[in-house]
Amino acid sequence: MSATDLLNLLIAALLLAGVYAVMSVGMTIIYGVMKIVNLAHAGFLMLGAYFVYELYTRLGIDPLLGVFLAFPVFFFIGMAVHRILVRRIPTSDQPTLTSLLLLFGLWLVLQNLGYLVWGNSDRAILTPRTLEVLEVGPMGFPTVRLVVFAVALGALAGLEFVLHKTWFGRAVRALMQNSDAGRIVGINVDRTARVAFGVGIAFSGAAGGLLAMLYSFSPDFGGPFLLRAFVIIVLGGLESFAGVAVGSLILALVETFSILALPASYQPAIAFSLLVVALVALPGGVAGLWNRRPRLA
Amino acid sequence: MFRRNGVAGERALANCAKCNLRKSNSLSRPWILLLLTLVLPGCGKGNKAGTNEIAVGVVLPITGREAKPGQFQREGIELAIQQINQNGGILVRDLDKKLPVKEVFYDDGSDQAKSAGLVERAMTSDNVVAVLGGYSTALGEAESVMPDRYQTPWITTGAAASTIFSRGYQYIFGTLSPTDLLGYTTAEFLGSLVDHGQLQKGLKLALALENTDHGVDYGKGIGKWIEEHPGYFAVAFSEKFDLGSTDFSGLLQKVKNARADIFLADAHLQDYITMHRQYMQTGMYHEMISYGARGPESDARKALGDATNYIFAGIWWSVKLPYPQVKKFAADYQASVGRPPDSWYPATAYDAMRALGTAIEQAGSLNKTAIRDHLRTVELKDSLLPGQVLRFGQNGQIHTPFVIVQNEPQDKVDIVYPLDAATGEAIAPKPR
Repeated sequence: MSATDLLNLLIAALLLAGVYAVMSVGMTIIYGVMKIVNLAHAGFLMLGAYFVYELYTRLGIDPLLGVFLAFPVFFFIGMAVHRILVRRIPTSDQPTLTSLLLLFGLWLVLQNLGYLVWGNSDRAILTPRTLEVLEVGPMGFPTVRLVVFAVALGALAGLEFVLHKTWFGRAVRALMQNSDAGRIVGINVDRTARVAFGVGIAFSGAAGGLLAMLYSFSPDFGGPFLLRAFVIIVLGGLESFAGVAVGSLILALVETFSILALPASYQPAIAFSLLVVALVALPGGVAGLWNRRPRLA
Repeated sequence: MFRRNGVAGERALANCAKCNLRKSNSLSRPWILLLLTLVLPGCGKGNKAGTNEIAVGVVLPITGREAKPGQFQREGIELAIQQINQNGGILVRDLDKKLPVKEVFYDDGSDQAKSAGLVERAMTSDNVVAVLGGYSTALGEAESVMPDRYQTPWITTGAAASTIFSRGYQYIFGTLSPTDLLGYTTAEFLGSLVDHGQLQKGLKLALALENTDHGVDYGKGIGKWIEEHPGYFAVAFSEKFDLGSTDFSGLLQKVKNARADIFLADAHLQDYITMHRQYMQTGMYHEMISYGARGPESDARKALGDATNYIFAGIWWSVKLPYPQVKKFAADYQASVGRPPDSWYPATAYDAMRALGTAIEQAGSLNKTAIRDHLRTVELKDSLLPGQVLRFGQNGQIHTPFVIVQNEPQDKVDIVYPLDAATGEAIAPKPR
C-alpha cells in the first residue's frame, strides 16, 4: 500500500472520528450531570435524521441548515422529555435500573412512532455535494464528510466554550464532579439537569441530522451508533468531553486501520474488544490516564 | 365428537393425547375438568375449521424492520387465496367437496423468537394444514425448526439461505431459489458478456460479501461457476464485511488495491447505499458493478441518483418478465391493492399459496403428511417465476433461474439475462 493510500485512510479515519465525536457527546453530557445512560439516544439520532430529511424534502431546506435548526428543536424536546419522564427517576450517583428501563422503553416507543409515521422504507438525503470529492493533490476529501467533520468540530468547540465560559457550563461541570457539593454552593440542580438533558438531546438530534447526510436510515437507525457511542464514552472516561474526542479518534483509527491486517467483518469485534480493554485496563478511560500522570511539584 | 369429525378429529385427539389427558390417572377430577375446559375448545375449533374450510397459517412481518416486504408478501398470498375462493375453493376428494381457504394471519413484528412462536401457535392451536411465511432469512431460519416438530408443511416465501434447507428437514419448502444460484447466475451472466465480446476473458473480480449465510452462498455460487469455466475470470480479492457497517473506507481501499476489473458485492439495502456512496467518493472504476440482489430498488435510486446507473442485480422475479401470467398477475395485484408489485416480494408468495392449493387438491385430503408428499411432486406450470415452472427440489427449495436486471439512466431498468426474457441489451463495460 502506497503512502498516498495510507494518507487517504488517515483522512477517512479523522473524518469518521468527527462523526463519532458529535454523536457521542450528547450521551456524555447526560451521563455526566445525571448519571443516566441515555439508551434512547439512538431514537433521538433517528428522529434527528428524519427531521433534517423532512425539512429538505418538504421545504427544500439545506440539510446543513436543518442540522442547525435541529439544535433548538431537540433542545426543547429534551427539556420536555425530562419534565415528563426523566425527572421522575430517583436521583443516584450511579446509573439505576429504573433509568435504563425507562429510556430503553422510550427508545422502543420512538422507534415504533417512526414506523407509524414514516413506514420502514430506507430514506436518504441526496444533494449535489453527496458524491462530491475535494481533490488536494493525491488526496481526496469527500465533501459531505468534510462538512460533517467541520460541523462536528464547531459543535464541540461551542460546547467547550459554553462549559468553560458560562455560568451554566460551570454549573454542569460542578455537578459532574460532585452534585452534593454543587447543591451546597447554590446550584439549582433540577434546572441544570433539565437544561443539560435538553443540550444532550439537542446534540443527539443534530448528530442524527449529520448522519443522515452520510447514511440511509429507517426507524431502526441508530443501533450501531449507540453501541459505538458506548465504546467511545467508556474509552473517553464517561464524563470527559476531551475524552470523547480522544475516544472517537482511537475508535475511528483502530476500526479503519485494523482492516488492513484483518478482514472487515472483524470490525465490530475490534470495537468491542476495545470496550473490554478499556473497562479492564483503563476504568477511568483516557481521561483517567491523563489525570494519573505524575505531577511535578 | 372426534369420530364424527373424521381425520381432523383424530388429529385433535392425538393432540389431546400429547397433553397427557388420556394418561392422567393421577390427576384429580377437578383438574381434569379444568384442563378439558381449556383444551377441548381448541381441539373443537381446529376440527371445525378442518371440515368447513382449509385453515392456512401465514406468519409474516408487517411491523418492524421487515414490514414493507412482509406486507407485500402478505398481499401476494391474499390475492392467491381470494382467487382460489372465487373459484369455489379447493376440491378435497376425501370430503367430496370444495372448501374455501381461510387465512390465519400473525404479524411477527420482524422478531425471530416471536416468529418461531407464532408458527408453533398456528401449527398447534389453530390446527392449520400448512404455514406460509418466513421473510427474511433470519426469520425463516427461526421458523424452520417448527415444521418437522409438528409435522406440518411450511413454505417460506422469503428466505433463501442454503442452511435452512440443508438440515434434512422433511416438512419445509421454499419459493426462493438458493442464494448460491444467484452468485452462479451472476457469474454466468458475466461469462455471457465475455462470449459476446463485450468483456474480455481473464478479467479479475473483487468480491465484498456480507458476513451472513446469504453472503457466503453468493460467494460460493460465483466460485463454483469460475471453477467450472476456467479462464473466464479470476478472483483477485474476496472479503466479508459486517452488516450495518458505519464505514467501508478500509474495505474499499483494499478493493482499490486489488486492481480488479469487476466489483461484485452482496449487501442489504442500507449497506449497498452506504458502500456505493463511499465507492463513488473513492473515484474507483470497474467495468461492471453489482450488489447481489440489490440495485433497482427505488429507495436506492433516490439515495444515490445517477450513481446507480449500469449497476446490475440478480433478482428472483421481475414484473417485466414477458409471460402472460405475469401480466395478468400484475393487473390483478394492481386491482387488489391499488399499486403495482414492488420488486419480487408478492410474486414468490403468490406462487407459494398456489402451489399449496394444488398440492392439497392432489392429496385429496387435509392430512398434513399427504399434503407434504404432494408438495414434493407438485408442478405449477403457469408459475410467475423465471422459467414458468415451479417445482420443489429434493431439499424442498425451488431452483428457478434468476433474472439479471440492469439500471439505466432515467430510472429505467431492463432485464438483460437470460436472453429469452430480456427486455434490453446489457450495457458492458459500464460507461465511465
